[in-house]
Amino acid sequence: MSVVASPAATHAPSPVKRDLSERALGTLLLTPAALLLLVIVVYPIATLFWNSLHGVDNANPAAGEQWVGLKNYLNAFEDERFWNSTLHTVLYILVTVPASLVVGLGLALLANLPFRVKWPVRLGLLLPWALPLVFAGLIFRWFFEYRTGVVNDVLMKFGAEPPQWLSDPTLAFIAICIAIIWKSSSFMALMLLAGLQTIPRSLYEAAEVDGASKWQQFVEITLPMLRPAIFVALIFRTITAIQTFDIPYAMTGGGPGESTETLAMYIHKTTLDFLDFGYGSALAALMFVLSMAATSGYLKYTRRSSGRER
Amino acid sequence: MFPIKHRAMVWIAGIIVVVNGFFPAVWILLTSLKTETELIRSPITYLPEAATLSNYATAFTAQPILRFMWNSFVVASLSTVLCVLVSALAAYALTRLRMPHRNLIMSVLLAVAMFPLISLMVPLFKVMRELGLLNTYLALILPYAVLSMPVCTLVMASFFQDIPPDLEAAAMVDGCSRVGALFRVVIPLSAPGVFTAAILAFVNAWDEFLLALTLLNRVNMRTLSVGITLYQGEFAFPWPLISAALIVAIVPICILIAVFQERVVGGLTAGGVKG
Repeated sequence: MSVVASPAATHAPSPVKRDLSERALGTLLLTPAALLLLVIVVYPIATLFWNSLHGVDNANPAAGEQWVGLKNYLNAFEDERFWNSTLHTVLYILVTVPASLVVGLGLALLANLPFRVKWPVRLGLLLPWALPLVFAGLIFRWFFEYRTGVVNDVLMKFGAEPPQWLSDPTLAFIAICIAIIWKSSSFMALMLLAGLQTIPRSLYEAAEVDGASKWQQFVEITLPMLRPAIFVALIFRTITAIQTFDIPYAMTGGGPGESTETLAMYIHKTTLDFLDFGYGSALAALMFVLSMAATSGYLKYTRRSSGRER
Repeated sequence: MFPIKHRAMVWIAGIIVVVNGFFPAVWILLTSLKTETELIRSPITYLPEAATLSNYATAFTAQPILRFMWNSFVVASLSTVLCVLVSALAAYALTRLRMPHRNLIMSVLLAVAMFPLISLMVPLFKVMRELGLLNTYLALILPYAVLSMPVCTLVMASFFQDIPPDLEAAAMVDGCSRVGALFRVVIPLSAPGVFTAAILAFVNAWDEFLLALTLLNRVNMRTLSVGITLYQGEFAFPWPLISAALIVAIVPICILIAVFQERVVGGLTAGGVKG
């Protein structure tokens, strides 16, 4: 919209025309983002569903990929490894999402105290966030090593029998969960800390006057006021937990056997190690549907709250 | 002043948070100074007995770690530039222009960009192979720009909103076009927001593993996050060497977040709380 072209301020464009040109400009400005999403997300996802309906016939591999209809999906439902890896993913979600919320809330409450020097605490929360997931996995793998790991050393100092963490299915699962909780709770804490800092001090002062205990203040003021931040943090965390890959990849590679393998890891193996694109695509499509459910929950929430704020 | 008991509590709280955040980094720093023989001693040692820098020397020769770092740097910085540019235009359209269905567009933008990477990885591999982009920087730059688009758009939108419309109107009266006003007034005034968005996009790209593992599989094209996993053998884990490599790999990102910590925290939470 060029202001220079209009002869005088008295001749300002009518609201309707102004809106139209703003709409045109807005569409133009949104085009790069839309194009990028189209090429990198929408088109690949569309081909994902298309590929999932194709497969290579093992009896006649020279023929290349053939239309197989829903066969890949039917195979998935009978594939024990698919169900097991899905079950592991769900278990990781059920254990690590609430646990990292609790740990993150604890860290946020501690970090919210009146420190005179703020940077060490802030860095203490930022470092786990900035550390690549796969590095965290490598480091925790080593903490849990049988002979040289620090976890077993501490256990022995307390007189406990050191277990073979990463060779036992249950213990390996626990070790991976601990690594995930450590890695994700700091980000939770940062989000919750921002929520804590928006709670007016006067609420606590009023409660103090009324003789409320610290615990009552926490339950009656902090938790209700923090609910939006907790909700957003939970959704974010769930979306990432569905995709759990890096940490188990680095710690156990899915082992022992396939006992800690997640759906994401199975999809990766199917596609890149077994080179079965059709089946891998079907699995990825199933995972896509799973995570869309979580995302739609998040969107419902943000649309409601942004509608309220603006 | 606080009572002494309260001050002690604050100290303890601070120590807990700091120890929780730093212990893995401190542990690998200590390990990186140990020798292989000291490592397998039982019981294990905590502080290195005869500190050595030889693991660092090996870290640079055993794998082309500087090359990994360069790859990560190129991919992360170019994807950051692309992401910030695209997100700035989108954020402007969504906050400063009278667009119909603004919230809906924002939601779609966020939803599309939140698709699970693993579902995207399978078809992207195929698309990139068909385009001949496997093992090129572009194969990661484009997806990484998308990866950070939601958070960058949210962060910049929250900054754009706070700029008084009068300033923009004044610039336009002085002969700026609307787009000119965006680049000469709105973006300079929201420089902290643009900068915050850039740091977040950079860290996201620097840390990503799955796509990097899949789309760049030639050794000299590996990024740092994937390259570090090459230090381990099939069954052998030379922990002092891996630790040294890890330290080299995390130092740049640590410096970045240490210098810009306030911005990073502000940016991370703007996406969640305001969104």
